[in-house]
Amino acid sequence: VLPSPFTRQVRGRYVDWRMLRDVKRRRLAYEYADERLRINAIRKNTILPKELQEVADKEIANLPRDSCPVRIRNRCVLTSRPRGVKRRWRLSRIVFRHFADHAEMSGIQRAMW
Amino acid sequence: MKVEVSYRKKLQQLKTREIKKQAKNKLEGLDSEGATLQRTTEDIQRGKPLNPELVEAASAVASSLPLNKKQTESELLAQLRRHEETTDKQKKGGTVNLRNVISEMAVQRQSPSQRGVRLSSRISLELDEDGQRIKPERSPESSDSRRSLRVGRRLNIFTKASTETEDALETVSSPTIWDLEFAKEIAAMTAQPPRNGFEEMIQWTKEGILWEFPIDNEAGMEDDAEFHEHIFLEKHLEDFPKQGPIRHFMELVICGLSKNPYLTVKQKIEHIEWFHKYFEEKKELLQEM
Repeated sequence: VLPSPFTRQVRGRYVDWRMLRDVKRRRLAYEYADERLRINAIRKNTILPKELQEVADKEIANLPRDSCPVRIRNRCVLTSRPRGVKRRWRLSRIVFRHFADHAEMSGIQRAMW
Repeated sequence: MKVEVSYRKKLQQLKTREIKKQAKNKLEGLDSEGATLQRTTEDIQRGKPLNPELVEAASAVASSLPLNKKQTESELLAQLRRHEETTDKQKKGGTVNLRNVISEMAVQRQSPSQRGVRLSSRISLELDEDGQRIKPERSPESSDSRRSLRVGRRLNIFTKASTETEDALETVSSPTIWDLEFAKEIAAMTAQPPRNGFEEMIQWTKEGILWEFPIDNEAGMEDDAEFHEHIFLEKHLEDFPKQGPIRHFMELVICGLSKNPYLTVKQKIEHIEWFHKYFEEKKELLQEM
C-alpha cells in the first residue's frame, strides 16, 4: 500500500510506517534478487579479471538501497515489534503468549516437566 | 492329463453343436422349401410369380420327407412367401430387419471356466500403492473381437447426426458484457452458502486455500523438461568465447546450474542469457585489457 498520487485518505492495512517500509524493502529485495546474485557471482571470483570485478562493484552499489536483503527485519506481524519475534509464528513474544494462553495457538501447551 | 480331457470334452461339445446346427439348418431349409409349394397356390391368388425352380425343389423335398407331404409343401411355400415380402420391403423402404443384423453375427459360446476368468479379470480388487484399483488394461475394442467394427454392411440403425448444431454454435458472436454479467449473476445465485464443514472445505479446495489430499508434492509445478535439458547446458554456451577466463567462469556457472533442482529450464537459460548480455556490454572494457 504505497501512497498514491490522488488525494484520498491513506489508510493501509499495516500497523505502522516502519512495517510499511519493511514491506517495501521485501518487495524490492524480491525484484532485484536475481540481479544481485549474478553481479555478486562476478564479484566474488578469482577467475575473472579484477577490472571487471571493480565495475561490478560499482554496479551493485548503484542498485537501490532497499533492494538488499540485509535491510529486512523480521518484525511481528501483528504489532510490528522488531525484537522478540519467533520466526515460526512471525509473532512477538507478547502476542504469542496472549494467544497461547487463550488456547488459540494450535499445538501449543504450557510447559511443565 | 487334465488338459487333454478338457480339450476332448470341448471337441465333443463342438461336434454335438455342429450336428445340432446342421440339423436346424436342414429343417429350416426344408421349411423354406415347403413354403414355396404353398406359395404357388397363394401366388396364383395374389398374382406374384415365384421362381418355378424353387417350387419344383420344394415339391421334391416334400416328397422325400416321411412327414405329411401336403403340409410340408404348404409350410415351405409360406416361408418362401415371407422371404419375398421382406425383400420387397427392403427394396422399397429400408426397414431394419433383425435377421440381417444377426445373420452376420456368430454366437460365441464360452465354457463356464472361460466366463469365470473373464469376469474375474474385469473386476479386480487389487489395490495399487495409492489405494486405487488396478483396472485391467483394455486393448482397443476393434482388436478384441475378431471382427473389426468398420467392416460389414451398413445396418442403417442410427441416422447421421446433423451438422447444423455445430454451425449454429459457430455463428454466435463473442459473449457481450451483458452475457458475462448474466453468467456471474447466475453463478452467484446458484452458489449457496455451505451447509456443513465438508462443503466449506470443498469450496476452499476449489479456491485454492486448502490443498488437495493426498498431498501432491508437485502441485503447481509443471516441469515438462527432460533431465538432459537440465544437465547438459553446454549448447547454450555457443555464444561465448571458447578460451579465456570468461569461458572458465561460464563453465563453472553451468556446472552449478546443472546441480540445481529448484530452477526450471527456462530460468536457467535466462540466467545464462543475462551473463551473455552483461559480457556483451562490457566487451569494450574487456578489449582494453
